Amino acid sequence: MAALTSRRARIAVAVLVVVVLVAAPLFLPAIVNQSLVRIGVYAVAVLGLNIVMGYTGQVNLGQIFFLGLGAYVTAYGVTHGWNIVLVFVAAAVITGIVGLLVALAAARLGGLAIAMVTIALPIVGVPLAKRLDTFTGGSQGTSAIFSNAPDWSGLFNDQWQYYIVLLVAGVGFLLARRLVRGKYGRAFAVVKGNESVAASMGVSPYWTKVLAFTIASVFGGASGFLYMAAVQYTSPETLSFGHSISLLAAMVIGGAGSIVGSLIGGAYYIVVPQLTNAVDPNLTTISQGVILLAVLFLLPDGLVSLPRVLRRLTRRGTAARAGGALPAGAPSATEKHHSTTGTPPHHAPAQVQIPDAAPEAPEKTERHGRS
Amino acid sequence: METFIQLVVDGLSTGSIYAALALAIVLVNQATGLINFAQGGLAVLSAYIAYAFVQAGLPLLAAVLLAIVLSFCLGALVERFLMRRFERGDPDTAVVVTIGLLTLVTGIVAVLWGYNNLQFPSLFPLSSVHVLGAVVSVRSLATTVTIVAIMALLQLLFLRTKLGLALRAVADNPASSALSGLPVGRLLMVGWGLAAALGAVAGALVGPQLTLTPGMLDGALVYALAAVILGGLDSPIGAVAAAWGIGVLENLVAVYVPLIGHDLKIAVPFALIFVILLLRPQGLFGRKVVVRV
Repeated sequence: MAALTSRRARIAVAVLVVVVLVAAPLFLPAIVNQSLVRIGVYAVAVLGLNIVMGYTGQVNLGQIFFLGLGAYVTAYGVTHGWNIVLVFVAAAVITGIVGLLVALAAARLGGLAIAMVTIALPIVGVPLAKRLDTFTGGSQGTSAIFSNAPDWSGLFNDQWQYYIVLLVAGVGFLLARRLVRGKYGRAFAVVKGNESVAASMGVSPYWTKVLAFTIASVFGGASGFLYMAAVQYTSPETLSFGHSISLLAAMVIGGAGSIVGSLIGGAYYIVVPQLTNAVDPNLTTISQGVILLAVLFLLPDGLVSLPRVLRRLTRRGTAARAGGALPAGAPSATEKHHSTTGTPPHHAPAQVQIPDAAPEAPEKTERHGRS
Repeated sequence: METFIQLVVDGLSTGSIYAALALAIVLVNQATGLINFAQGGLAVLSAYIAYAFVQAGLPLLAAVLLAIVLSFCLGALVERFLMRRFERGDPDTAVVVTIGLLTLVTGIVAVLWGYNNLQFPSLFPLSSVHVLGAVVSVRSLATTVTIVAIMALLQLLFLRTKLGLALRAVADNPASSALSGLPVGRLLMVGWGLAAALGAVAGALVGPQLTLTPGMLDGALVYALAAVILGGLDSPIGAVAAAWGIGVLENLVAVYVPLIGHDLKIAVPFALIFVILLLRPQGLFGRKVVVRV
């Protein structure tokens, strides 16, 4: 019975959320809409990063490269008069192919070496974008205007852009949710936990990593398309290394291995620089570093775990919740950072756990229910 | 031919800079099992500290030595109060912490000293000598010699001393090391301190050539990481050899392959890595590791 009501409640909340999301831009001022649009853009990029890093455990410092590539493909397609759906498909597929090629080499590296290879992507990408000026417009950058509201819609540009982002990001988030909760999500979790165990279970660590990386780059390409929809201009600066680090910070601060965390990460990416710039532009870098370290110190699972941590602090001792199977996963997800898992081969069995896919569901409904 | 020799010599001297950072990365990895992305940032901070001492009127050599000692303490403190919290956990989280540290240190340097280029005095004379028709500056020669000496010392430290053995043991398996009576925490602090001191040496060697800016070692860090991948995370000699190879190769390619040129030469080491990985999955010097489940 409890399951039934919670299911109904979840559907009701979902419908409510959709209605609010669809109606919101009609009432909000343009500046807020623009911020929301950019949050959506980066949430999709962070979501891709989360799939390869949060869920599969492969540190990826090159996600911004795929955003930039997607943006350039979009600009190229739009300026050459392609159909806009074709442009989107091209942005996703071409970045996916590039991501696949990179992954075929990078995933051969064990452990942290993949991080050292992916760092090359933005660093090589910037001079490459300057060099290929026939496609990219060189240092000047290139612009593509396809996201102005058509006359029949009666909307303002910011509202129209909002709906483009909402549509793409919404579909992306639903697809990602299905992915990480299904068969591949379990494969990701086992590979993250221990590659030897994964291999012994018949899950190929190599191909799982390649798959996760490729999917992440497709999301990067899609976010590049959205970036062009929101900003209408891109230059080599878009894919600079500093932005890649910010993207990674956003993912960790939002919550690694969490779908909702990706959305929080996108919001962090947009909102915090605005705030720190308002205080003192010189301190932006410092505050980013401090915030990142502070979150890792206090909330190793990111901001998304804040309600869970608060609840644990307020209700210490009464950890058991109604709902039977669900609580088992929750503590293991939060405690994994305190356990001695630093030496993977020796603690193999303890590390294999289904990701916090299961506990995330009630978390999410409670979050929305509260707000 | 003279151009060629000149390019090779220049490549070796820039390669030495990458080598210094690569050695620091190998050192932290040997001592803690981590990749430290903040290595370049800490080295930049050390160079600025030395610069501040010079500005305060200290002789250059004393300023650099003082900066090295301070950097050792700083590295040890970073380990004790920041990294220790994450060492037992997920290695990916620890790497993200070092990235946060890089952001933080770069920001601190920028606020304290600004983004303008500052002129750092050279430790070595700026005169040059002729070797086989190529002009070799005494500075780059001395830089290379210093790096070779440090590499030899590190190799000795890790393979011939009790401290080195203990450092390797702690990196390999902290739990067993602790059970064997090794002071794991203190050894980790020493490892980080040594790496930071090495970074200070790198900063002092590179400072005059690059002039001080908060991001002066970002490029070098990337080359150093490439060198570490190519040369092997567990081999100081391999890392240095790879760093020199990359330095020479990128110089030659930049001049002789116009398609790549100076702006894209940073892609060379990574193109090399990709090709090698596709042909030889375990890495150039890597062994196949068999893990028991």
